[in-house]
Amino acid sequence: MGDTAQPVQPEVTRRSFLFWGWGALLAFLASATGATLRFFLPNVLYEPSQKFRAGKVTSYPLGVTIDKTNRVWIIRNEVGLYAMWARCTHLGCTPNWFPAESRFRCPCHGSNYTAAGDVIAGPAPKPLWRCMVTQTPQGDLVVDKAIMENRPGAREKAPFFIAV
Amino acid sequence: MKKIEKLFEELTNTQVWRSMFRGGTWKNNARDRAQHILGNVWLHLHPARVRPRSTRFTYTWGLGGLSFLLFLVLTVTGIVLMFYYRPTPELAYRDMKDLEFVVSLGKFMRNIHRWAAHTMVVFVILHMVRVFLTGAYKTPREFNWGIGVVLLVLTLFLSFTGYLLPWDQLAIWAVTVGTNMASATPFAGAEGPFSSLLGVGLKNDARFGLLGGTAVGSATLVRFYVLHCIAVPFLTGILLIVHFWRVRKDGFSAAPYPNENPQQKVETWPNLVVREYIGAIIMLIFLVAWSLLQNAPLESIADPNVTPNPSKAPWYFLGLQELLVYFDPWIAGVVLPGVITVGLMAIPYLDPDPTKGVGYYSFKERPFANIVFLTGVFAWFALIVVGTVMRGPNWAWYWPWESWLMHKPPDPPTHSLPLFLGVGMIGIYFGLGMVLPRLIKAQFAVRSAIIKVFAGSVMVALIVGVLPGFSFIQGFWVAFGLFIYLVGGVILPTSYLKTISNLRYAVCMVLLLLFIGTFLKVALRLGFNVKYVVAIPQVSLNI
Repeated sequence: MGDTAQPVQPEVTRRSFLFWGWGALLAFLASATGATLRFFLPNVLYEPSQKFRAGKVTSYPLGVTIDKTNRVWIIRNEVGLYAMWARCTHLGCTPNWFPAESRFRCPCHGSNYTAAGDVIAGPAPKPLWRCMVTQTPQGDLVVDKAIMENRPGAREKAPFFIAV
Repeated sequence: MKKIEKLFEELTNTQVWRSMFRGGTWKNNARDRAQHILGNVWLHLHPARVRPRSTRFTYTWGLGGLSFLLFLVLTVTGIVLMFYYRPTPELAYRDMKDLEFVVSLGKFMRNIHRWAAHTMVVFVILHMVRVFLTGAYKTPREFNWGIGVVLLVLTLFLSFTGYLLPWDQLAIWAVTVGTNMASATPFAGAEGPFSSLLGVGLKNDARFGLLGGTAVGSATLVRFYVLHCIAVPFLTGILLIVHFWRVRKDGFSAAPYPNENPQQKVETWPNLVVREYIGAIIMLIFLVAWSLLQNAPLESIADPNVTPNPSKAPWYFLGLQELLVYFDPWIAGVVLPGVITVGLMAIPYLDPDPTKGVGYYSFKERPFANIVFLTGVFAWFALIVVGTVMRGPNWAWYWPWESWLMHKPPDPPTHSLPLFLGVGMIGIYFGLGMVLPRLIKAQFAVRSAIIKVFAGSVMVALIVGVLPGFSFIQGFWVAFGLFIYLVGGVILPTSYLKTISNLRYAVCMVLLLLFIGTFLKVALRLGFNVKYVVAIPQVSLNI
């Protein structure tokens, strides 16, 4: 017998096959988990519309008017009117208005806001959100809670403010 | 009497009866009883013979077994209640009223379900404290302690998901606040730090997944119903199996043998089984009596627009609610609960005395572990007491003897520290705090050092109090911060963490400094009206 042929190293070894096989299984399980998590985010929401009519613009007196059914405050000052979403920016409770102190105070963790929506005490991280407000030709106020602004400057201009 | 006993004996010797239990004719001797423990699927959670100390009531207080009994009571009464409950916003509250006023025994079933749930939270916490104090989490039981911590979290989550189902005001607002904390999760919550960088918004964040929408509504009610009745009990059941399996396999009890002699075990039946049955009977009597005497509260129907004032979470979450007053939600609602859970699970792996005080109550053999753990438990319950009895309308501070009708002045304005100062303070606190105990070579006599620090802190309080521009209240908070840092962050680790490895030391110090830091932040808020130490609003990062 002459020289025996060198054993050829196969391109796919048992070890590398198992490595990629297990790797593929893990990748499949990871993506299946991700897809299942995506399952829990609904694509269609059956929630009430965020846009509603709120009476005549001119019907609001000076100060804070509380609209409990739509969860907004309509606030009229000397120059005009704006609408604020009545939701604390801390953890989402509805603050109450205290006219004697001119503050909104939250019942859940004690955040305090001014009538403009700025935080003065308590844990809330951001100012209150103001909603888009428009006026129909008949003079009705239309509030849209889907479009909001809370930056000083931008929030005092249209469409988040109506001069009256 | 004699006749009945004879009849019973005949009954237990019939072929039908004997076929239900393994092992031939019943002679009621020790061997038979041991056989019965091992041959019965339910009883074989026990070994046939146990260590004498583990049957002693004042060793375990029966807390683990009674927690499981409460889980069973909750399962049975929960299944019963499901027959009358429909999880939609239109019907849920009406079904609660029906259970209260129309359904026979409905009120009782609801009461016992509620009171057993409260009792279970108490007993699971006490069980954890007992296991800690007897060192029963040490090798080989580290993993089972971790399972136990997860079971505590699941117990709280079961309570939380159950809270929405009555669809009353407490329900909707507790869940609104709780799920809004999910939206403060870093990266995964719309209002949490850094999420804006990943494009996470209102309609794809963690809260949206929990609620099934953007606000608590009908989708949320179904989700919580499924979580409460099926998903979480299922997971809890699986972990209970693992928990019991490991209890059994790891020697059933960590209690040492008398005279180190494993031969001195006692029979499980009757010694342990009888005690368990007596404990279960007393617990059931207690629950039935409580449920007959007091009705579970039901507030007015859920109104997603109006929050009750004050709005309080159930008692076991009130400590968390109180902490939320002092922190951005991502810290108090996500980071701190996460660190507490992980920290509890890490305890067995960090223990500076892994072989001391296993299986008996001992303060002297494990001073560091006991001081830190008990301080944590005490602080948690102190916050619960503050949230329960000290907070009134608008979450203002009311002493228990003050009427809630009394007007409280509004809180003083708060302010955040400048960025460089805040980052510098946190950097120095953690940077120096991590290494200081290893740099100090001196040995303290712990007790006298603590007394000296206490006296020094009182002096500091008085000095700060008389300084112009400061008040004694500010002096108190300075002294409080100084005292807890010097004792918890310097004296204790210098004295007790000398011998553990660097990695263990580092993890210990991070957990300790976070624990102390939480209360330093509270002191900064209450004494100096500091809102955030670090505030970077661009990425919603507030500390």
